[in-house]
Amino acid sequence: MKLLVRLYVQQFKTTLAMMFQYRASLVIWTIGQVLEPLVYLIVWLVVAKSSGGSVGSYTTADFAAYFIVLMLVNQVTYTWIMYEFEYRVREGVLSAALLKPVHPIHSDIADNISSKIITLPIMITIAIIFAFAFHASVAPPPWAILAFIPVLLLAFLVRFVLEWTLAQAAFWTTRVGAINQSYFVAFLFLSGQIAPLTLLPHPVQILSLLLPFRWLISFPVELLLGRLTMIETLIGLGAQFGWLIVSIILLRIVWRAGVKVYTAVGA
Amino acid sequence: MSYFRIFLAFLRVSIYVETAYRINFIIQLFQSLLNLGMTLGGLAIIFTYTNLLGGWRPHEVLALVGVYFLIGGIIRLIIQPGMEQLIESVRDGTLDFRLTKPADAQAIVSLQRVEIWEILEIILGLGVLIYALAKLGEIIGVLQAAEFVLMLTAGGVIIYSFFLILSTLSFWFVRVENILVIFQSVYEAGRWPVSLYPGWLRYGLTFIIPVAFATTIPAEALTSRLNWQTLVGAIALSIVLFIVSRIFWKTGLKRYSGASA
Amino acid sequence: MAYAIHVRALSKFYVVSQQETGTKAAFQNLVHRRKAEVRAVDGISFDIEPGEIVGFLGPNGAGKTTTLKMLSGLLHPTSGELSVLGYVPSKREAAFLRQITLVMGQRNQLVWDIPAELTFELNQVIYRIPRDSYRSMVTELTELLDLGSLLKKPVRNLSLGERMKCEIAAALLHRPSVVFLDEPTIGLDVTMQQRIRTFIAEYNRRSGATVLLTSHYMADVAALCKRVLVIHHGKLLFDGELSGLLQQFTSHKTIIIQLDNCKANLSNYGEVKSSEDGRYTLRVPKAETARVTERLLAELPVIDLLVEEPPIEEVIARVFAQE
Repeated sequence: MKLLVRLYVQQFKTTLAMMFQYRASLVIWTIGQVLEPLVYLIVWLVVAKSSGGSVGSYTTADFAAYFIVLMLVNQVTYTWIMYEFEYRVREGVLSAALLKPVHPIHSDIADNISSKIITLPIMITIAIIFAFAFHASVAPPPWAILAFIPVLLLAFLVRFVLEWTLAQAAFWTTRVGAINQSYFVAFLFLSGQIAPLTLLPHPVQILSLLLPFRWLISFPVELLLGRLTMIETLIGLGAQFGWLIVSIILLRIVWRAGVKVYTAVGA
Repeated sequence: MSYFRIFLAFLRVSIYVETAYRINFIIQLFQSLLNLGMTLGGLAIIFTYTNLLGGWRPHEVLALVGVYFLIGGIIRLIIQPGMEQLIESVRDGTLDFRLTKPADAQAIVSLQRVEIWEILEIILGLGVLIYALAKLGEIIGVLQAAEFVLMLTAGGVIIYSFFLILSTLSFWFVRVENILVIFQSVYEAGRWPVSLYPGWLRYGLTFIIPVAFATTIPAEALTSRLNWQTLVGAIALSIVLFIVSRIFWKTGLKRYSGASA
Repeated sequence: MAYAIHVRALSKFYVVSQQETGTKAAFQNLVHRRKAEVRAVDGISFDIEPGEIVGFLGPNGAGKTTTLKMLSGLLHPTSGELSVLGYVPSKREAAFLRQITLVMGQRNQLVWDIPAELTFELNQVIYRIPRDSYRSMVTELTELLDLGSLLKKPVRNLSLGERMKCEIAAALLHRPSVVFLDEPTIGLDVTMQQRIRTFIAEYNRRSGATVLLTSHYMADVAALCKRVLVIHHGKLLFDGELSGLLQQFTSHKTIIIQLDNCKANLSNYGEVKSSEDGRYTLRVPKAETARVTERLLAELPVIDLLVEEPPIEEVIARVFAQE
């Protein structure tokens, strides 16, 4: 355990140094992270305004709050590992990681968290500015705010494990671009990034209940907006736990198979 | 005219590279369709709740999406690949090979790579565009069509010059690899009419990262929204930006060959 | 017109900011950047006649590549006179560029994923090579470089040596009259290095092209170049024939003797470089050579004695180590 803690701290220092080098990339990433929810926010505001101020149970203020919180939740939970993994397998640098006594996922989690510690203050600032600019309003009950913390943490874990598992497709093919894109499109629709899930057609909503995506984004967002009852929150937590177990099992299976393939080819 | 032949030579090379893998075609088709499906899905959801988006009718927005894919395809077919390779060649020194050739360096560097499968994106865009116009049921007059082509061309030139300016920065700053990614992210905002966005964003999408000139303005021409000020402005901007980018390129080249100071 | 290449007092200076490591230094650097002037090329002069093969010899960072880049128009000189085939290279006129070519050892102009042949065709278009000239040149180069079926394979499938051969061929398609070769044999195995040297010599003989070759391998230069320019720290240390180089820079000679009985202490006679089974190698100051040889023959049971120049590599290494 102590080893892991030291590892995470060390990774933080490394990430910090790298970020300093790549600060231009950072700005570019941030712009992308902000622009997408912003565009949907604006579009829905326009729709709401032309529909008498609200669509479904969302007023313009609600839409603003929804997408701003979504932006933050996305920022906290997103990963970029599927891009990097392809590089690692292709260039053979994965071999070095395989020789270490710690599972490579740890340094990736550490790297992910470290860079978010640095970028989150910026995003929160932007969120506050947007909240004022778009007149967002949100009034969650105190228990929801408390519950948000473990929910967000779980969302991060599940999303990370899931996407790390997805990234391993790189062991079997170099065409990860198409796979990643398919994942992101599904994620976009079924996690509530295009529109609050209650506004989507019924069949899509049912589908979103069965897949993990909604529990990673839509669920934490709706919780913090005070739109869920305690029962719904508990169900959501259960779903998150369930998906955490499923994704860890999936990870183990795929990783073992992937390493076999990788080492068989002579790394 | 010899530059056209040089372009054809580069095109032949690209065709050879890409057709070596038939699967590239399938994958590109899949990805383009996925992208289109995602965009259309978003549109469908929005338009279940409204009939008008910022004054644009559903099929007008669809026409905009068609233009978005059309120009997006052109950018990724011929503009972006060359600029990406330019940035890389500055870093690894292979630019020197381009510079010892008896042809204008900017031309070579701009034409040097063609991602031919982006043709699929262009075809899809055109398909969507034609469908949308048919559904709108309006007759597109010769004048309107001419305006459209003009705005498309102006938009293309503006985007090209913009890319060239960004890529030329690699003569000064080494870490510019990702700078072109910025356009990819921001271009996504071009799927919706730029007039929807608040003033500051509209300004940014017009004058800082000129997405509006690529998508909304040509679409405006097709949907009878284009006023003459925008028309003239777009043409003027395209000429000015082209000249500015060439001057900037020459300056960057001088710096690369240690001629300044 | 006399010279193919004419260079007078050519210099290239760079100003670089100096950066130390360490946090304190990093902060100091923010406020006050320390600058230093690097003299990559420092006032060199030489003239090369058409058809010569000339070698630029020097360690890494000596200024060879910088000089070559100035000669090919890639770099602007800081000061000095420079003309190649009567043109000012930095003007990069098309007529000039059509007559020169540049081959760089570590970098490829060949497009990676396609057969070399296609890059050839690209060059044909860019250099506007007429069809028959192109065809005959391809045939000639294929024969001289033994390219065989290499041209049809994607470049990434070729070995380093095969790639280099195709790279050189691609550079010569337009029959340039001046050929710049920057470390062309670097990273290649000995056989391939040999083949490329043979080719260059043959090409020069057939076409009369002026060849300028930089290398830090002595073997390249010794095999190909009658004339050698030695560069170090941006300055020209020597310009002339290779044999003259040895004359100028050696202060010692090597004496190899074979003794009848095995054991003898020869340290009185000179510096003992090696001793093995009665065969000794001595290093002796040039002036002393005659006297030491006399003494050896008189005082010891010598079966065989040989006086040699020190190996060229050693000479060069000492020259470079000096400054």
